[in-house]
Amino acid sequence: MEEYVKIVTRDRLYKDEMESLMTKFLFLEIVRGMRLTLKTMFKKPVTRRYPKEKRQAKPGFRGLHALVRNPETGNAKCVGCGLCAAMCPSKCIYIYTREGDNHEKVVERYEIEVLRCVYCSLCVEACPFQAIALTETYDYAAFSKQELFYTKDRLLKNWDDFMTEEKKKRYFESFWGPKTSFFRENESQATFKGKS
Amino acid sequence: MEQIKERHERELVLNLGPQHPSTHGVLRLKIEVEGETVIKCTPYVGYLHRGTEKLAEGMTYLQALPLTDRLDYVSSMTNNIGYCLAVEKLFGIEAPIRAKYIRTMIAEMTRISSHLLWLGTHALDLGAMTVFLYAFREREWILDLFETLCGARLTVSYPRIGGVRNDVSQEFIDSLYEFTNIFPSKVGEYETLIDKNRIWLMRTKGVGVISAEEAINWSLSGATLRGCGVNYDIRKKHPYDAYDLVEFDVPIGLNGDVYDRYLCRMEELRQSNRIIRQCIEKLPKGAILAPDAPKFTLPPKDKVLDNMETLIHHFTLITKGPMTAPKGEVYCCTEVPKGELGFYMVSDGTGKPYRMRIRSPSFVHVSALPALCEGGMIADVIANIGTIDVVLGECDR
Repeated sequence: MEEYVKIVTRDRLYKDEMESLMTKFLFLEIVRGMRLTLKTMFKKPVTRRYPKEKRQAKPGFRGLHALVRNPETGNAKCVGCGLCAAMCPSKCIYIYTREGDNHEKVVERYEIEVLRCVYCSLCVEACPFQAIALTETYDYAAFSKQELFYTKDRLLKNWDDFMTEEKKKRYFESFWGPKTSFFRENESQATFKGKS
Repeated sequence: MEQIKERHERELVLNLGPQHPSTHGVLRLKIEVEGETVIKCTPYVGYLHRGTEKLAEGMTYLQALPLTDRLDYVSSMTNNIGYCLAVEKLFGIEAPIRAKYIRTMIAEMTRISSHLLWLGTHALDLGAMTVFLYAFREREWILDLFETLCGARLTVSYPRIGGVRNDVSQEFIDSLYEFTNIFPSKVGEYETLIDKNRIWLMRTKGVGVISAEEAINWSLSGATLRGCGVNYDIRKKHPYDAYDLVEFDVPIGLNGDVYDRYLCRMEELRQSNRIIRQCIEKLPKGAILAPDAPKFTLPPKDKVLDNMETLIHHFTLITKGPMTAPKGEVYCCTEVPKGELGFYMVSDGTGKPYRMRIRSPSFVHVSALPALCEGGMIADVIANIGTIDVVLGECDR
């Protein structure tokens, strides 16, 4: 056997007959277990009373979708290239474009079927214009399928509702990748800073 | 009278599942019992079949990654890593050292979270209800860490072909190190609750015994195999990622019963903790995506709108997949919490896999259930389902 092998089988559970008998008659192992559970009675509960107490999602959480609004034009940043729809593994993004008055491409409809989405955020990575985002909202259950079919207006509204100034920045800094810095060493990378 | 007697003597056919709470999903067992003894046990699978292998044939290599999350949904990180390693082997690329350490770290975190879920539900099935929430308390911590890391708790899609999706933050590393400090004492707590408990011992000792030879013949893997006294761990025998750079022990049980497999997994929790600690301490600075990866994964975003070639590359990669995919076939196996997860990829040179075959440990383990159950009591069937640690998402694929 190699030296890394560690045999975990226990031939005997107790050191000697005496300990075995003591445990058997005095229920020692159960007393020990009970002592541990009794101790937790005086600690704060680890569970959360969900609908009353809502948990704040961590920065960069992959939740409900939003279309990024261009602050200059007031419309969606999306140019309708269709990369997100091509990348989507569950094929839940539908994009319809048409020719505009000045022969430009106009995104007529941009729809996401939220029920089919798998929240992999590959659409975010595929988008070259930072036009789509996953917000930190996670509780949006609805009663009908129609309510969870998000059109362009609703997606833009999501952006206004859920993404405040600092969230926008944080979102794109951490999750829109890969970046050039991923391919080389840089100073700001996190490492272990010693035992403290 | 004769008729009644005949009817009594006949064995009873019992359907366990597919909606039974302790079959861990939608496993259906057709059990023939005589009194309380199981004579025959036939597993029926396929209630959760989603056609993952076939779906992957119509997707590019990067696109198929989220599918692997949903194989074994309690340890999605290791499935992703297994898939990425298989594709990397096919393309002949290697992840940089920092990415390897990060992958090893998160794979072991997944092992801990998967084993904790196993411990909680297995104990719950056998009547020890207290352990469940204790185990979930620490599992929650790990899932929170996953959330800070990549924005998802369960279906993570974090590793990428040739590296990982984004870099770890300082906050993540500090919190994880604190976790490794505390965790061994928590494992002690779980052991206090059930380790020597007389009911636990009665339900597990000498139950579901399978010999080493038989286990190999059934092609069992992971802790289920090691509980039978076979020294086989892919992390040691065929090291991948950073497993050859860290020190850890492989726990082996000799009796091959439910209790020994339990002991193996409890020791694995400690060893995983040890690996995470070493990974954090050794984590070097450097790239997290392989320099030759842009041929296969997406090019850097900050160059996409400046550089025309990069933009063209970006478009072709997403719509058609890697254009320089080599022809050939490759098998790559990894040690996931359940056992050996293998990906067999066949490439015909287009951007999509021609065939992706998944060798999932749960499927193999379910097929060994009759060998474990037959001849035992009907109550021990539950113990046996728990001990092989089966997740039906992976079994039915």
